[in-house]
Amino acid sequence: MASVARARPRPAWPIVAGQELRDLWLGGRGLPLSLAFSALLSILSYLVATNRSLNFLEQHESVNLTLQVAIAVGAMLTLLAAADALSGERERGTLETLLLTPVSRLELTIGKLLGALTLWVAALLITMPYIWFLGRGIGIVGDALAVGALVGSLLAVFLASLGLLVSVFAGSNRVSLSLSLLVLLALFAPTQFPAGAQQGWAGELLQRLNPLTAGEHYVGKIVVDRHPWSDDVSWLASPLVAAVVFGLAALVAGARFIRLDGGPPG
Amino acid sequence: MRRVLVLAAVAAIAFPAPVAAAVSVAVDRTTITRAIGHTFSFRSTITNHGSAPAASLVAHLNVVSLHGGTYVDPEDWSSHRTRYLAPIPGGGSTTIEWRMQAVNSGDFGVYVAVLPQSGAPQPPVTSPTVRVEVAKRRTLDSGGILPLALGMPLALGLLMLGLRLSRRQADGPGA
Repeated sequence: MASVARARPRPAWPIVAGQELRDLWLGGRGLPLSLAFSALLSILSYLVATNRSLNFLEQHESVNLTLQVAIAVGAMLTLLAAADALSGERERGTLETLLLTPVSRLELTIGKLLGALTLWVAALLITMPYIWFLGRGIGIVGDALAVGALVGSLLAVFLASLGLLVSVFAGSNRVSLSLSLLVLLALFAPTQFPAGAQQGWAGELLQRLNPLTAGEHYVGKIVVDRHPWSDDVSWLASPLVAAVVFGLAALVAGARFIRLDGGPPG
Repeated sequence: MRRVLVLAAVAAIAFPAPVAAAVSVAVDRTTITRAIGHTFSFRSTITNHGSAPAASLVAHLNVVSLHGGTYVDPEDWSSHRTRYLAPIPGGGSTTIEWRMQAVNSGDFGVYVAVLPQSGAPQPPVTSPTVRVEVAKRRTLDSGGILPLALGMPLALGLLMLGLRLSRRQADGPGA
């Protein structure tokens, strides 16, 4: 009996991701968001460089401040894009067409997630010249960009997965975006606590458990305190765990629970 | 004898004892090391050694560079350099906290002078010098930030505009 060689089907997620990139960058919100991000970094770096009292910041601290803002805002952009990914299709009435294509829901979710993450890649590229300018002459640029890329990528995966997870179940875009932003604000809230509340075992535990505060703490240790990368690596635990857990959760939820009308599973 | 005492009393009223005779000024430290831009504080204690209350005194904070070549504007170092003191009872003291910001790098002398509000021609009482060593920190040279701050958003804006125009041309006039 002659065996019939079957061509292995081409994975469809690159096609979905490619379409997402076109939608996001050629006609969508990618460039306007990047422009706004760049304007924010311009204002911040101008103030850091020229304002008298801000200029008292030691140069490492200037780099750290700008890098932390870039990571936080860049990761937030991925959250916004991901929160819109499925609920937006649902609201625009294009999800049905998408579900009828011969693409598995898992591949659809992967493509959407990758599309949202390109906003972080763009944010990182935009951040590079600012960090180079602020950190030139003190041998910090390479480390700052590397740790920014590492921590920012973990946080971007975490936040994009969180947004996508909410978007899988949200019945409308408004619900998806507002819920995602609410969670984001809750995660950022500890950074506004008074310094005293961030100290002691409870304060440190809270900082370590929160992926955003833990990630930014690690960046500060590398950029400002010039610690070796291995000294404070335990601070990367919660960003890493959050990226893996939420990434997997988003993929599983996308593969199993994407529905035309949204809503909770069951 | 009575005459002598009366004369002494009249003299005491007419020619009060100089501030220096009754008051001393101490500081809680004599060396402070900070980096430029950082804030710091120290306390001065003004003690009245006499038996009568010391009233109408004013304490003034001064900053001087211990080496030439550094222009010091004391107002930049502290915005609250003059304190009008409440009367200090005989044998009593009052403590003042002076908050300052190190705005220049180098070695500086900081001292507190206490003098009467009357402006009587007598030397003020001064505290020991507090030596403030301000380390230079490497702060950012702001030169060149403007082209970057304007250039990046401008480049992205132009890219966005170019993409829109090319898409409009690709879609054709009827699109």
